[in-house]
Amino acid sequence: MQTRPVIRYRGVHKAFDLPVLEGIDLDIHSGEMFGLFGASGAGKSVLLKTTIGLIVPDRGDVEVDGKSVFFGDGRDLRRIRDKVGYVFQHAALFDSLNVFENVETGLPVRRLRAMDGMRIARLVWQALERVLLDPREVMTKLPAELSGGMKKRVGIARAIVGGPDILLWDEPTTGLDPVNTAGVQRQIRRLSRELDVTSVIVTHDIEGGLEMCNRVAMLEGGRLRFLGSPAAFRASSDPIVRAFVDRAAAEAAVDLVATT
Amino acid sequence: MLPTPNGLSRTGWRALVPQQVTQGENGRHEEHWATRWAWFGTCAVRGFPAVTGRSETPSRAERWLAQVARAGRTVLQHSGEIAILLRDIVAALVGLRVSPRSILRQMYVMGVQSIPIVVLTAVLAGIVTSQQGGYQFTGAIPLYVLGSIVTESVVLEMGPVLTAIVLVGRVGARITAELGTMKVSEQIDAFYSVGRDPVSILAAPRVVAGIIVVPVLVAIANLVGILAGMVSAQLTVGLGPNSFLYGARLYWQSWDLFYSLTKALVFGFTIPVVAIHMGLRTEGGAEGVGKTTTQAVMFMTLAVLIMDALFPPLLLD
Ligand SMILES: Nc1ncnc2c1ncn2[C@@H]1O[C@H](COP(=O)(O)OP(=O)(O)OP(=O)(O)O)[C@@H](O)[C@H]1O
Ligand SMILES: [Mg+2]
Repeated sequence: MQTRPVIRYRGVHKAFDLPVLEGIDLDIHSGEMFGLFGASGAGKSVLLKTTIGLIVPDRGDVEVDGKSVFFGDGRDLRRIRDKVGYVFQHAALFDSLNVFENVETGLPVRRLRAMDGMRIARLVWQALERVLLDPREVMTKLPAELSGGMKKRVGIARAIVGGPDILLWDEPTTGLDPVNTAGVQRQIRRLSRELDVTSVIVTHDIEGGLEMCNRVAMLEGGRLRFLGSPAAFRASSDPIVRAFVDRAAAEAAVDLVATT
Repeated sequence: MLPTPNGLSRTGWRALVPQQVTQGENGRHEEHWATRWAWFGTCAVRGFPAVTGRSETPSRAERWLAQVARAGRTVLQHSGEIAILLRDIVAALVGLRVSPRSILRQMYVMGVQSIPIVVLTAVLAGIVTSQQGGYQFTGAIPLYVLGSIVTESVVLEMGPVLTAIVLVGRVGARITAELGTMKVSEQIDAFYSVGRDPVSILAAPRVVAGIIVVPVLVAIANLVGILAGMVSAQLTVGLGPNSFLYGARLYWQSWDLFYSLTKALVFGFTIPVVAIHMGLRTEGGAEGVGKTTTQAVMFMTLAVLIMDALFPPLLLD
């Protein structure tokens, strides 16, 4: 399964007022389901955003399918954005557009021009059904009329409607009830399997992440503290990693942090 | 080496002004202008002791330097970002990536919906000028001169400037708050992520609409202001419409209208540009939106007043 790298982070540095990323080197392979863990504020969202050039690193570069995100030309970047679907942490739906129009924006402009209304409607319909929303019910609603979990799922529908090769999930299941969490996880798995989609999943649901992913990493102090298989993650003796794996270790880590 | 971002202008500009002292490949500080610049930036943000590692309080010279660095950085950032925004707007227009429908929609929101408040302001402006003039020269000067005073004040100053100030509040603040909210809720990022360009979708229609709509609003304000002044002159000092218009025509030059509408055009361009710029650089949740909206209103008001003051020396010569 592990073939050529489709995403390569190379020496990614980013500082806001304080350093956030201090040299991230990471290859994500085609068809992989990659889990990214880390404490709040560790820079997971920042790293994910550099993948499609939403945040420009101070140093370093990201390559997607061999094309540079930051040193290539505008056309390369547009192509990269067309084939990458991004699920935002807080959904980020367009306020002034209804659910249908929101999902429709997920279709690349050039493909949209070549499609008739029926085909667009069918794709949007399918995407909504895939995230367990009833299209008939939500299609014409504005984001303000949806619950948090529904917004999140519309955000996922927008990311998958264009049939992306790569999906970046920023906490896809945070704030969802158990049934919907299971539904979204199944969706992530199915997309990865059936469509050969490469997924990078940022999540605080460590158990879910370890179960789903074939490789995981942990971001800490601006670097990758851990990189390896879920089994190795579970077996790691690193106290910080342990704190993420079991509750008792987390309690111990709280004391450790408090005393240092 | 600094990244040369493509189509990522806003964040890209900031990447040119790193806030960290960058470490060279060999671990030493690179002797690059950007490194030194960044050092000043870091000092500005965190103070000298944090950077130099000295614990004593910074000297007055150091504090002053840090202040200058901070101010310089802010000015550079704003001007650079506005320049890039303008470049991107022009590129969007030239590339025909701006939908006429959204321009029309913005013209409706910014123009048609502003007519009542603009008319009300113009009526009051006309009345006030007329009363003021009538009060000041009953006596030696023939009364019909009041017609010219009112007309010229309304067309040259009151019409464009008061309309612009009203639009700062009604249109400018709205744009900043709207785009600022989109920025902090990641909707701007979301546009980029689905391969859409927020500058063509959000910024360009607002600027084009401003350029078209504000001169029309100012023309309406001029007309209404003169009429209100005329009615007021009749009621307060008994100057009839015929004498009023006689006075108005006596000193009228067609250049005056051109001057008035040029002002309107400049304001109609500046207000949305500043508003959009401030909206897009919003950070930090609802509080951030409040902050940039207030700042934007201040900048827009100042810009209108300063440009108004610059107009006579630039255009009347
Ligand atoms: N646009 C920005 N401007 C300034 N600072 C930022 C910006 N984006 C992120 N940061 C800072 O970078 C750090 C990492 O943020 P990030 O959102 O990546 O964390 P995270 O790992 O995703 O956390 P969480 O699990 O809570 O989502 C934080 O300290 C944050 O304040
Ligand atoms: Mg995050």
